[in-house]
Amino acid sequence: MRMYRRIGATLKRTAIHAGPTILGIIVLDFLLLQLVPGDAADMIASESGSATAESMAAIRQRFGLDQSVLNQLLNFLGHLAQGDLGFSPRYNMSVFDMIMTRLPGTLLLMATALSLALLLGIIVGSVMAAWAGRWPDRVLSVVVLVFYSMPGFWVGLMAVVLFSVNLGWLPSDGSMTVGANLTGWAFVWDRLSHLILPALALASFFIAVYARLTRAAMLEVQRQDFMRTAAAKGLHPFFIQLHHALRNALIPVTTVAGMHLGNLLGGAVVVETLFGWPGMGRLALEAVLARDFSVLLGVLLLSSFLVILANAAIDLLHAWLDPRIGPA
Amino acid sequence: MMTTNRATRRATLIGLSTLPWTLRGALAAPKAGGTLTFMQNNEPQTLVALTTVATPALTVSAKVTEGLLEYDYDIKPRAQLATEWTISPDGKTYTFKLRPNVKFHDGKPFTSADVAYSIQLLKTIHPRGRNTFANVSEVKTPDPLMVILELSKPAPYLIKALTAAEAPMMPRHIYEGTDPLANPNGNAPIGTGPYKFKEWARGSHIIYERNPDYWDKSLPYVDRIVCKFLPDPGARSIAFENGSADIGYRTPVALSDLERLKKLPNLRFETKGTSYSYNVSSLQFNLDSPIFKNLKVRQAIAHTIDRAAIIKTVCYGYGTVTYSPIAPGLKEFHDPSPSPYNLDLKKAAQLLDEAGYPVGANKIRFRVPLDYNPIGDESKRLAEFMRATLGRVGIGVDIRAADASAFVKRIYTDRDFDFLLNGHSNLFDPTVGVQRIYWSKNFKKGVPFSNASDYNNPKVDALLEGAAVEIDPAKRIAMFMEFQKIVGQELPDVSLYSPLYLTIKNVRVHDDSLTADGVEGNMSRVYLDPQ
Amino acid sequence: MTVVTPLTDVGSRTIRRDRKLRAFLRNPTFVAGVVILGIFVLLALFADVLFPTDPLDMVGPPVLWPGQDAEFPLGTDSLGRDVLAGLVHGARASLLVGVAAAAIGLAIGMVVGATAGFFGGRVDALLMRVVELFQTTPTFLLVVVIVAIGEPTVRVIALAIGLASWPTVARLVRAQFRSLRESDFVMAARSLGYSNLRIIVQEILPNALPPVIVAASVMIANAILTEAGLSFLNMRDPNLVSWGGMIGAGRDLLRTAWFLTALPGVAIALAVLSLNLVGDGLNEILNPRSDP
Repeated sequence: MRMYRRIGATLKRTAIHAGPTILGIIVLDFLLLQLVPGDAADMIASESGSATAESMAAIRQRFGLDQSVLNQLLNFLGHLAQGDLGFSPRYNMSVFDMIMTRLPGTLLLMATALSLALLLGIIVGSVMAAWAGRWPDRVLSVVVLVFYSMPGFWVGLMAVVLFSVNLGWLPSDGSMTVGANLTGWAFVWDRLSHLILPALALASFFIAVYARLTRAAMLEVQRQDFMRTAAAKGLHPFFIQLHHALRNALIPVTTVAGMHLGNLLGGAVVVETLFGWPGMGRLALEAVLARDFSVLLGVLLLSSFLVILANAAIDLLHAWLDPRIGPA
Repeated sequence: MMTTNRATRRATLIGLSTLPWTLRGALAAPKAGGTLTFMQNNEPQTLVALTTVATPALTVSAKVTEGLLEYDYDIKPRAQLATEWTISPDGKTYTFKLRPNVKFHDGKPFTSADVAYSIQLLKTIHPRGRNTFANVSEVKTPDPLMVILELSKPAPYLIKALTAAEAPMMPRHIYEGTDPLANPNGNAPIGTGPYKFKEWARGSHIIYERNPDYWDKSLPYVDRIVCKFLPDPGARSIAFENGSADIGYRTPVALSDLERLKKLPNLRFETKGTSYSYNVSSLQFNLDSPIFKNLKVRQAIAHTIDRAAIIKTVCYGYGTVTYSPIAPGLKEFHDPSPSPYNLDLKKAAQLLDEAGYPVGANKIRFRVPLDYNPIGDESKRLAEFMRATLGRVGIGVDIRAADASAFVKRIYTDRDFDFLLNGHSNLFDPTVGVQRIYWSKNFKKGVPFSNASDYNNPKVDALLEGAAVEIDPAKRIAMFMEFQKIVGQELPDVSLYSPLYLTIKNVRVHDDSLTADGVEGNMSRVYLDPQ
Repeated sequence: MTVVTPLTDVGSRTIRRDRKLRAFLRNPTFVAGVVILGIFVLLALFADVLFPTDPLDMVGPPVLWPGQDAEFPLGTDSLGRDVLAGLVHGARASLLVGVAAAAIGLAIGMVVGATAGFFGGRVDALLMRVVELFQTTPTFLLVVVIVAIGEPTVRVIALAIGLASWPTVARLVRAQFRSLRESDFVMAARSLGYSNLRIIVQEILPNALPPVIVAASVMIANAILTEAGLSFLNMRDPNLVSWGGMIGAGRDLLRTAWFLTALPGVAIALAVLSLNLVGDGLNEILNPRSDP
């Protein structure tokens, strides 16, 4: 019963918070984008290598760029109020449809990378905490720190050279073998083999973060009284670690993971470009370069939603992990 | 009808229906079947080259949407949707006979009404259409298989402009009455072409399937064309190596990687099929800039440029020197004589002193920003090369980077630049591709790739305008020759080189580049070796 | 929680810190971090002395491997530029961007965080909204947009990264100020009639600094990594050599001359590593959680 009340309270709080925040994001980003020099018509002309005054005028009219900035903003907000994300004249599709073509790819990549990072990070962190001060800890600390310091895309590049080019074990680009019409296990394996390298490239940084956090939190927890009580009760040390220490250590780890969710979208930009992965990060970058603001605002809006949702989910997760945490 | 005779100055061209294209030995008979994987650098935003002529769109457009003609490597016309064509002696009436029994992919017939409608459409929304078809005053369709173009003035370049990617023949029944810019046909096109559109997975790939009802019953051979997009050049190299890509054009890999790739046994490198659209890289001056309005400064810079070194370091050898804005590939019009300003650093230094820019304390005469067109990988390297070169005569160059839209706005709308490295395509005729850069009436703020320098020479204007309507080939050539001499002297810009583009393909791919525009054509004859 | 040092206890504070400092100078990883960072800083400062010619000058034959030619110990790139000279000058550009970006982020973050944490109430709510606004926008995209507004020069890139990274600092500083504003010495200062500004700057800020200093090292590290990512996407200053720029330029030759991407990547990793080691060490020195 208490859980449902918690969920309700969290959702209500989130909704009240979210509305003005999202509005603020839209207005801020819209105004920011007006400062970027050049517009969508300039981009199309430069891609074509040719233009006439008439073709530029026609494109500007189509994109609504011949209207005042205020009008454009009001139009956008008006559409949004009706639940319509708008239309992208560049791709000639609704922004929603455009995003939907890339969203699954991004979610897949992000979820895989984050899960991988959390899993490996927590395991490595626990090992480091269990052997704190001794050589496994020291060695792993250095390894973890090295991963923390390497640019993710560089890790990706080196991984491609090793696994794809030299060993030929994994594909180097794309999210699947196109036009092969695979089914069943072949399909799953095909997708997985394309997913591993980009997910690893994206995750490498975060593995290190979670490992360090887990270690620090577990060591912190071990010093506290209730751990000594548990040991005195005669519980097996491993069980103590797992249940009590880990559970408490998860709180800072999940908080940070939640914060990373928002950045994961942006950080994925470089990885997606390198691997040709069809994701929202690349879409957003292309939209900035092409000055297609409807798509860009749609992506930013979506990412804000994701972050807000993630924060709400983490609040709930915390409540489950540590009942002492009341509604903030 | 008079027969073609170069000696007589009247030319009436008679097209003939499909001739046997290649001299294929009995050994290499094309096998049907297979999937061709086409590698592109970027994803197109539309699949029909109607509102845009961006390379990614040009690559795919003709597979579905065909044109009236196609062209051999010397840009001589051959039949596609038109089987015969004549031009009247005064050059003002073009008559096309259309191929019978051609259907669009939705079963509707292709008729002259579609041609008439398409030309109107091209005049209004195509990036070049307005200029290319400017002289077309009326399109008559006396019968469903005949189209007559009436021109107000001759247009000697027009007959070369009718390839599928440059003047696509759109289905009137789909576009009429709609906003062509918004028509969903751009995302799922219907045409007369050898391949039908199947699916477009955004961010990932496009799939085209063989059209079983194509007007040439024996074609196409392959079952499917899959287009993949990879923005990273290194990844593209890898794709060619491991066979996940069969073909790509405009040198789809980094030039520095070509040496290595050429040693691989499973790849072939094709230079043919790049003659429809020669590119010329140049250093353009803003003649309103206080530094470069001075001819001596421009001459000095011309004296410092070592084009051979540029070809070697920037292009890795894949380029041809040109002193003229008309590319060497357009052999009939190109003036091969070298620049009056030879490579002479001493002369350059002397001219700069005379121009009033003596060497200052830190060996620099003056600092100036250099912009460059960000499209293409070579331009950045060229900018760095220029910086090093001009540094040797004491000109301190600060390279200014910008993305494509910001670049276009700065150069063409704001005109906030001193000089820049740019590239223009000559396209199929100098009137279409070169005139726009030097014609004073094309100095239009806000129009990209127009007369960026603000060059205004009445003599040049007269020559260009004359060549635009001159139907006597020899006279036309003479006009262009004189034009090249004048701009070579006056230096509104310095032409540097014409890049040599390669099409890279897997050994199993054949007959992909049989036309002037190569893989930008409909690729109806491409076939694969069985796996 | 930070050590709240009563105004009168200066003496024992110094002794305690000295003891800790000595303990940590014995910590090998911290020392290693300081040494490596020191080397990079020296390289950056003396780049012009060590390699007087412009690293962007084409001085040798293209694509020489390291060790192939004694004149170019780490080889040359596709335009014949000396890789070692590039790495050394690149230290300057990368560290500059890192430090500048972190400085901007810290400056803005501290001002916003201090104001929000100290005054609380409506000011706090408003400022936190702004922070949330920035935090929900994907950082990298925000940087890309800001760079697109300006031009890709070192100045703009540093500004962009700084503008995108201040929210974390703001949150940190705000948390510090919230917990410190109720302390005794603040009440004492208020009763003495000190102005708000004086209290913020003279009393609370010095005590709030320790986690911020640690965060600074992380921010510099992140700024260097972000700059590398931007360079990889071709948004780099074309007039300077930076490590990220070298990776981007060497990417074309990944298969044949992979050292062109590997070496600057190693440089970045080492620099960022050293910053992290220093940050960790500072954390242990300044953070009383590790008090015996």
